[in-house]
Amino acid sequence: MGVAALVLGIISIIIGIFFAGALGWAGAILAIIGIVLGALGKKNPESKGIATAGMVCSIIGLILCLLLYIACAACVGAAVTLG
Amino acid sequence: MHVYLEFFGHKVASYGFFIALGGIIVNLIAVYIFSKRKMDINDFTIIESIGLLGAFIGAKALYLFVSFKDIEWYRITNLSYLAQLMQTGFVFYGGFIGGIIAAIIASKANKIDFRSYADEVIFLVPLAHAFGRVGCFMAGCCYGMPYDGPFSVVFPENSFAIHGVKLFPVQLFEAAGLVITCLVLLLLKKLLSKRFQVEFYLILYGVLRLITERYRYDAARGSLFGISTSQWISIFMIIIGLASIGIQLTKSKSKDCLTV
Repeated sequence: MGVAALVLGIISIIIGIFFAGALGWAGAILAIIGIVLGALGKKNPESKGIATAGMVCSIIGLILCLLLYIACAACVGAAVTLG
Repeated sequence: MHVYLEFFGHKVASYGFFIALGGIIVNLIAVYIFSKRKMDINDFTIIESIGLLGAFIGAKALYLFVSFKDIEWYRITNLSYLAQLMQTGFVFYGGFIGGIIAAIIASKANKIDFRSYADEVIFLVPLAHAFGRVGCFMAGCCYGMPYDGPFSVVFPENSFAIHGVKLFPVQLFEAAGLVITCLVLLLLKKLLSKRFQVEFYLILYGVLRLITERYRYDAARGSLFGISTSQWISIFMIIIGLASIGIQLTKSKSKDCLTV
């Protein structure tokens, strides 16, 4: 799990830096999965080091993707006419 | 009111900046609380991250559901259109419901006591949300109705809001309400020793959203019997909060009767 977290973290950082405009949403999702895997991996003493590294990379990736990708979200207040 | 901020020559979306800033501050406070209470931070990270993933999916799914007719589905394989579609259009309530469901599933799967973590840090949710609302104000989205009075604002041309018209700054109004909600929850947490924290959040935010929704002017808000979709969800949130408090009080009363 630690290795997977590290791989996802690095991918999300790359997406955050180079492709945030088009793939920032995918980078954010990968980063969140990386954080979960990192947190799970940290519970195992054998993979604690690499899992921590993976989690840190994923958090950095998530922040980069959020900063460079989301221009405006959470703003649409249910644009539907129900009746 | 700037859609983009500039740091060392780099353009950064102000909405994303405020979301990230709010996320960092709120998580630092949460980590401090859990280390003080000697609770497992990894368990919190698992619940929070899966909740976040659920929130992302929920917010997007509800947007896609409500604007199904407006989306050009034949262009969905076009990468730039897909990116544009994914970039905007998230419904907070969809995110809230998706996040709660995902967090509960994650805690059950990992045998984590969701309620004890939620009661401890639920007051941070409105604080993070307040940062998001300031981001909305900066980007000019989620704007208020035309209003020519004290504190009215005119958004610049490059913002998401309608330009050249004095508008009610509903985003800042809601942000202030969210900070007050956070403080009230913190006070109730101390007074009632963490009881009903989630329920109070549901009630307080439900009431706040019922009010702020009346002053919003962005997008087609949808309505049923003159009440907007988000107001209906707010009403359900308030009912769920009150019902849950009622059920728990009845249970504790009947327990007391049994022991006496």
